[in-house]
Amino acid sequence: MSFDTPDIILSLIKIGIVLGLVLSVTPVWVWVERRGSALIQDRPGPNRIGPLGLMQAMADAAKFILKEDLVPAQAHKVLYTLAPMFGLIPAVTTCAVIPFARGFVIPEVIEYSGLIGAILVGGAVAHLVLGIIALRVTSHFGAIAGATRVNQWIGRLVAVGLFATVPLLLGIFFWFRSAGPVEIPFGFAGRHFEPIIADVSVGILLFFALSSLGVYGMATAGWASANKYSMIGAIRASAQMISYELALTLAAVGVLLGAGTLRLTDIVYRQSGTFVLFDTIPLPAWNIFPMFIGFIIFWVAAFAETNRLPFDFAEAEAEIVAGFHTEYSSMKFALFFMAEYMAMGTISALIATLFLGGWDIPYWNEPANFVGFLASFASFILKTSFFLFVFVWVRWTVPRLKYDLLMKLGWKVFLPLALLNIVIVAILIPLGWI
Amino acid sequence: MIPTSWFLVLGAILFSLGVLGVLTRRNGITIFMSIELMVNAVNLTFIAYARELGSLHGLMWVFFIMAVAAAEAAVGLAIFIALYRHRETIDVDEANLMHW
Amino acid sequence: MFEYLIFFTFAAIAVIFSAIVVIHRNPIVSALSLVVSFFALAVMYVLLDAPFMAALQVIVYAGAIMVLFLFVIMLLNLAQTDEPISRPVQQFLGITGAAGFAITLIYYILKAAVIHTGGPAVFVADARAIGVTMFEAYIFPFEAVSILLLAAIVGALILSQRTSAIAKDGGAR
Repeated sequence: MSFDTPDIILSLIKIGIVLGLVLSVTPVWVWVERRGSALIQDRPGPNRIGPLGLMQAMADAAKFILKEDLVPAQAHKVLYTLAPMFGLIPAVTTCAVIPFARGFVIPEVIEYSGLIGAILVGGAVAHLVLGIIALRVTSHFGAIAGATRVNQWIGRLVAVGLFATVPLLLGIFFWFRSAGPVEIPFGFAGRHFEPIIADVSVGILLFFALSSLGVYGMATAGWASANKYSMIGAIRASAQMISYELALTLAAVGVLLGAGTLRLTDIVYRQSGTFVLFDTIPLPAWNIFPMFIGFIIFWVAAFAETNRLPFDFAEAEAEIVAGFHTEYSSMKFALFFMAEYMAMGTISALIATLFLGGWDIPYWNEPANFVGFLASFASFILKTSFFLFVFVWVRWTVPRLKYDLLMKLGWKVFLPLALLNIVIVAILIPLGWI
Repeated sequence: MIPTSWFLVLGAILFSLGVLGVLTRRNGITIFMSIELMVNAVNLTFIAYARELGSLHGLMWVFFIMAVAAAEAAVGLAIFIALYRHRETIDVDEANLMHW
Repeated sequence: MFEYLIFFTFAAIAVIFSAIVVIHRNPIVSALSLVVSFFALAVMYVLLDAPFMAALQVIVYAGAIMVLFLFVIMLLNLAQTDEPISRPVQQFLGITGAAGFAITLIYYILKAAVIHTGGPAVFVADARAIGVTMFEAYIFPFEAVSILLLAAIVGALILSQRTSAIAKDGGAR
């Protein structure tokens, strides 16, 4: 294990991109969920705070922080506090193995530095404006309400400006150098930038390993709360996650067989390009076509794995109050809430990566440069957002199953079907269809 | 490169902790967990030797040990559930029906 | 240098949490500590260039076996049944026995100077290499393990039935 400084900086940039994306998408997605549910149920939804109610999540966050942090008297104090972290850590770390765009070689010189500078400055200014609006809204909830008007503005500028500083400075730097091409300094030039945090040889196994730890958050929370409903939720969660992990993993085996590797970047690269069906119809070489059964199983099992309706037995509010987080309040509850949305995000990204070609844009050979990077990144975000939206759509459309039906579905339907999928893939591979 | 013997020493310490648990505890589940700990210490030793000898056969053994441990956990925990139904306890000293 | 830091950090975590497993009186805390210990061992496997086994370790042990343990502990509600004060003779013999065992093991490991090297520079233990070894040299043990797992499933089901099949048939089977 040897690193040099540019490598470490590139890794930090990747971590920054992924974490920033995940953390900033979560509140947006809470808004999408609430507005989407309102749309489906024919009511307005949250529309007071900010334009279209977009700042609702900010207000919610402020509210979470200000609520009383309650610990039940009979609870196991240490585990009660640790449980939300157990829940959040797997959700955050699984993002590390998902490739989110096409890799490119960092060029020696940048030609359109003026354009890039303008984009960066524009982004930074937009960030500042949005951030200040957000903080203006949330400060009504008392976060910095006690301060004088000037101090409030200084606080907002500092809080938001910290994140906008780097793109702003970079943008100004590029803008002023826009007269000619800019050379890339510090030995970054010529390096390959692969947009994935941990490009490990066992990528998909690492994903399943980390996501299987998510159950400990729920189980610990349910037990440590010393509450019957929490306990029932926790037991349901552990039984359900063990059952559906099997279907999830077996559905992914088909993909691994086809790709001949566990490395997620290779799986995505293999899916770029086209596959000509019957010598006439050119299809994208995505896994969804030969492994449709596996795709459906994986998709449905993902709902069970993230505890979303119609499989949200761990927190079924009509049966067991709020399940494993009945006793949780304040930021501890917020952590569970965030973990649920992050898990949704990463599993959506994994479905897109395994079955829909990840960042691949059909019928277009992405160039290995910055343009290809941005385009493929947009494609990846689009696919992930689609699956995320279906999570919301299904939640407000399909009613909750009965618990025994859930187990029956997992063991008696999905497991044999996943095995069938593996057999089909094993037949298709020698035929040259995959 | 970290010397192989360090991994072996770590394995030895973990194994001894497992032995300690089996010898001193009377809660069946805790004893069972101590056994799992010992099994894992052995796994670590197997992988350390596989690395040392540059051979994959040690890893195969770890693979089979994991499979057997899974089977053992399923059956063992089922036994404890059955024991609890009959005796309302999983203290191993209480399960003395076949004691001489 | 970096490797040594990782080794000592996770070795310490493994030992400390294993000690908690053995000493703590609450089975739930023991089970969760064992998960942490297994996770630290997975890091050891990565240091030993076996990332596949590390992933397997987390999936099988932390993701499946320990969830089963936790499930059973919660199901039987065992956290309240603290065991009574153990007999001091048993405690003493156990501690001395384990300590003597540990000292002997470590003494002989350190005495054997031949194993101080660390192995070849390149060690490929990815999924492909492991698969080839498994399905060429170990195909029969592999099949035997699958039968063992099936037997374990059946056995666990029979054992955990509320009324056993034998009792229902009046011992006819």
